[in-house]
Amino acid sequence: MKGYIGEFEELVLLTIASLGGEAYGVSIKEDIEKRADRGISIGALHSTITRLEEKGFIKSRLGDPTQERGGRAKRFFELTQAGKVALHHVKNLRDELWKLSKTSLSLSK
Amino acid sequence: MRETKFIRPPRLAEKLFEWYCSNASVDDLRGDMEELFYLNLERMSPARARMQYWKHVFAIIFSYALKRRKQKSSYHTLSLNSFNTSMLKNYFLIASRNLIKHKFFTIINVLGLAVGMSMGLLLIALLSFVSTYDDFHENKNNIYRIISKTDDHVKNREFASAPAVLADRIKNEYPGVKEVVRIDKTLTVEAVHDGKQLPLNGYFVDANFLKVFSFPLVKGNLATSFEKPNALLITEKAAHKIFGDTDPIGKIITMGEFGEFEISGLLKDHPKNSHMQFEVLTSYQNLEKTAAFQIKESSGESWKDFRNSYVYLLLPDQANTKDTEKYLNNIAQKVYLKEENFSASFELQSVKDIAPGRDLSNEIGTDWGYGSIITFTVLTLLILLPACFNYSNISISRALKRMKEIGLRKVMGGHRNQILGQFIIETVIITFVSLSLSYYIFALVRYEFLSVIVGGSDILNLDTNARIIFYFVLFALIVGILTGIIPGLYYANLNPIQALKSKPTGNNAKFSLRKTLTVFQFALSLGFIMSVVIVLNQHRQTLNYDFGFNQANILDVNLQGVDPEIFKNEFSKLSSVQSISMSSSVMGAGYSGIAWVKGIDQSDSVDVAQLFIDHNYLSNLNLKLLAGTNFTENTSTNSNRVIVNEEFLKHFKIKQPIDAIDQIFLLEDEQEVVVIGVVQNFHYTSLHDPIKSFFFRFDESQFNIANVKVASTDMFTSIGEMESTWKIIGGEKKFESKFFEDEIADSYSFYFAMVKICGFLGLLAITISCLGLLGMVVFTVENRTKEIGVRKVMGASTSTITMLLSKDFTKLMFIAALIATPLTYLFFDRVFLRMQAYKMPIGALEIIVSLLLLFVLGFATILSQTVKAAKANPVDTLRNE
Repeated sequence: MKGYIGEFEELVLLTIASLGGEAYGVSIKEDIEKRADRGISIGALHSTITRLEEKGFIKSRLGDPTQERGGRAKRFFELTQAGKVALHHVKNLRDELWKLSKTSLSLSK
Repeated sequence: MRETKFIRPPRLAEKLFEWYCSNASVDDLRGDMEELFYLNLERMSPARARMQYWKHVFAIIFSYALKRRKQKSSYHTLSLNSFNTSMLKNYFLIASRNLIKHKFFTIINVLGLAVGMSMGLLLIALLSFVSTYDDFHENKNNIYRIISKTDDHVKNREFASAPAVLADRIKNEYPGVKEVVRIDKTLTVEAVHDGKQLPLNGYFVDANFLKVFSFPLVKGNLATSFEKPNALLITEKAAHKIFGDTDPIGKIITMGEFGEFEISGLLKDHPKNSHMQFEVLTSYQNLEKTAAFQIKESSGESWKDFRNSYVYLLLPDQANTKDTEKYLNNIAQKVYLKEENFSASFELQSVKDIAPGRDLSNEIGTDWGYGSIITFTVLTLLILLPACFNYSNISISRALKRMKEIGLRKVMGGHRNQILGQFIIETVIITFVSLSLSYYIFALVRYEFLSVIVGGSDILNLDTNARIIFYFVLFALIVGILTGIIPGLYYANLNPIQALKSKPTGNNAKFSLRKTLTVFQFALSLGFIMSVVIVLNQHRQTLNYDFGFNQANILDVNLQGVDPEIFKNEFSKLSSVQSISMSSSVMGAGYSGIAWVKGIDQSDSVDVAQLFIDHNYLSNLNLKLLAGTNFTENTSTNSNRVIVNEEFLKHFKIKQPIDAIDQIFLLEDEQEVVVIGVVQNFHYTSLHDPIKSFFFRFDESQFNIANVKVASTDMFTSIGEMESTWKIIGGEKKFESKFFEDEIADSYSFYFAMVKICGFLGLLAITISCLGLLGMVVFTVENRTKEIGVRKVMGASTSTITMLLSKDFTKLMFIAALIATPLTYLFFDRVFLRMQAYKMPIGALEIIVSLLLLFVLGFATILSQTVKAAKANPVDTLRNE
């Protein structure tokens, strides 16, 4: 099915959304590591970003070169409409499944 | 500003990344990594931060992200699309078109590679057979051989053997061993059965030999066959030689000094890939009974006797060899402690590591030391590599013709890896065509090859099977890939703009490499040619050498059990026979074993070569007596008399020959012998060995050969007469005779083995170098056709143009000659001929002949092309646009 996204892709998309205009390689990596408490490889992150970009869920622009990282530019990412639709798909699917759950998913006893 | 700013990410990692990414746009990725590095510096030590940086570099290099970015940066968007079969088809098409179009170069390439690869096939077949050695033993994982290292403060030596007493020690003391097998290989005798004589080689072995090693019995009982005293096991092949088709079991056979044996079992012939090679086996007890063994035993020297005696162990499964070795060396330390100038240590060698294995002295059977295998590998590479370089040379030198194609491919999006792949595929096609041709060469020469190496057909099998064919194909593939890489890289790195303009880039450096290679090839060829010529000449000179005795007109007749007296009576009746003498073997080609001799008051024995003769022998062969007398005709008085040579006197420090007369010496079995005469030194054995102590003894029972001096103008009828006389006394047996001179010539036939090997290698080397040269000449001439045309129009003569074209190549050949001549001379003078005790000098003639041969071949190659080009009509060449 077109528009299918995996768990990690979803995580990256949402992180990009949460970082707003400040989403680039390092900030995404740091944010996910902090929030999800898991180490992620920079190679895996960039591969996922590349795939997401090829699927048209995000778009990128090259920032201005800054002093702090050896004068190299950052590549910023933002969600596209298709990206937002895909996220909605996932969320709707989940909500539906939550609602349909016959076992009580409540943690309190 | 943070202070950490001054610490930089690892340079090497940055460089690696930069190199790998080449022109892909990865600025943001590098920025990310650098930012992470500085972040990490605040969290961890600089060393760990650097480690992390390395990790990031590799993570990105292997990531999908970078793969995509690299694709985007390449010449064409489609160029790195996944493996494309239609492109592959195209490569095959273009390759085959190219091969058919340039038939001449194809033939040169295929021939050259086939010749070179045939050596490779030989090596592969050899290696793959040698690697199966001793695989047939069921206990192969648990059989070990004890090998010894000795040090007598003069020389360190490594033996494949070990003292036999060690085995007794292990049997009695050490529980960690399942079986101990002693083997002694001195069972080498002229066996006699029913008047038929045959040399047999075999081992004295402990009774558990057949339990440990997998040598199946065809007839006889495994348990009892060893128990009877003087029982002998014989292989099928040897049994057939002695007994023909009759059942050998129960037959009696005389094994020289070891007495009579009864055949109690028939062994299946052992496979060729066994490191032990034997025809007969008998119990070790039969060795222990002999006088020589008992003397050795009582001398107290048995721990120092490393000759001919082997100890094999069968260890339990998963046994620790280290423990056993430790135990052995504990013994060694205790035993050799009292020796002043001698120490030894032991090691275990798995039966799987014996062949191929380390180079050890005193091997039990087949010797596949690493040394010989490495030599053969080097020789193979010396032939194969020039053939591969030839191909690369020719391919690169044809660059001009193919540049447009490559340029176009690149402009249309051909990636350099694809160009490289194309050339590799093209080369692999060539090597596969060559493979079929070289297989043909291989099939032709393999039996020759087996006959050249000593005992070749007994220890080596070069027949092909599916596994070897698979290796052959793999070999062709590897050769193709490695050979294709050089021209492939050259074309892949071409700049498309220059390629389309047909401008060669960086051709000068390559050209000097090609020249070096040509020189190397010709130097190699010259080396082989000179070897052949030198060895042939050595052989000729050896046969004309003065051996110190007369060998002309003497016919050696094999007695084959006929009584010498009867022979003498009958043959002396013939008119053509001048005189007859008897001997135990043919002098100059070998001698009848060694006797250990010592003076009456001495303790150390000396080895003395011996030959048994009768009283006519000295006069028959014109040997000069310096003092004393010959043996007498009365046989009974001769039994303890000897006639010694000058070297014998020197060894026992006797100054005058006359002083030696009537001196008494002791043989190993305490028999006394009296010197009755001294003869002038002569070459009783081959010229490789120096003349050492030697004596003649008189023993009728040892006579095997009758030396018949023939005085006849018509040898043919004389021999015919002898044959009819032989029929009366010899009955059924064939008359076996040979002229003394021929017999000596035969014993130097190893020279012909050398000539064959060098000749074959030389033929391969010169074929390859001439093909390479031919390729270069043809190419140069093709490229200069127009220039030649212009020169001719301007009035240059055919000879000047030929000179002009040939000059460069001639120069290369001269350089090769200058390098190879002194090297080969030194090799033969310093190494090869040192192995001979009496060497002949290398003359200038040999060198001139070889140089002449090389230049004739070289010039023929060069001139065949240049003259044709120089004679061409300028009208045709200039019009050819």
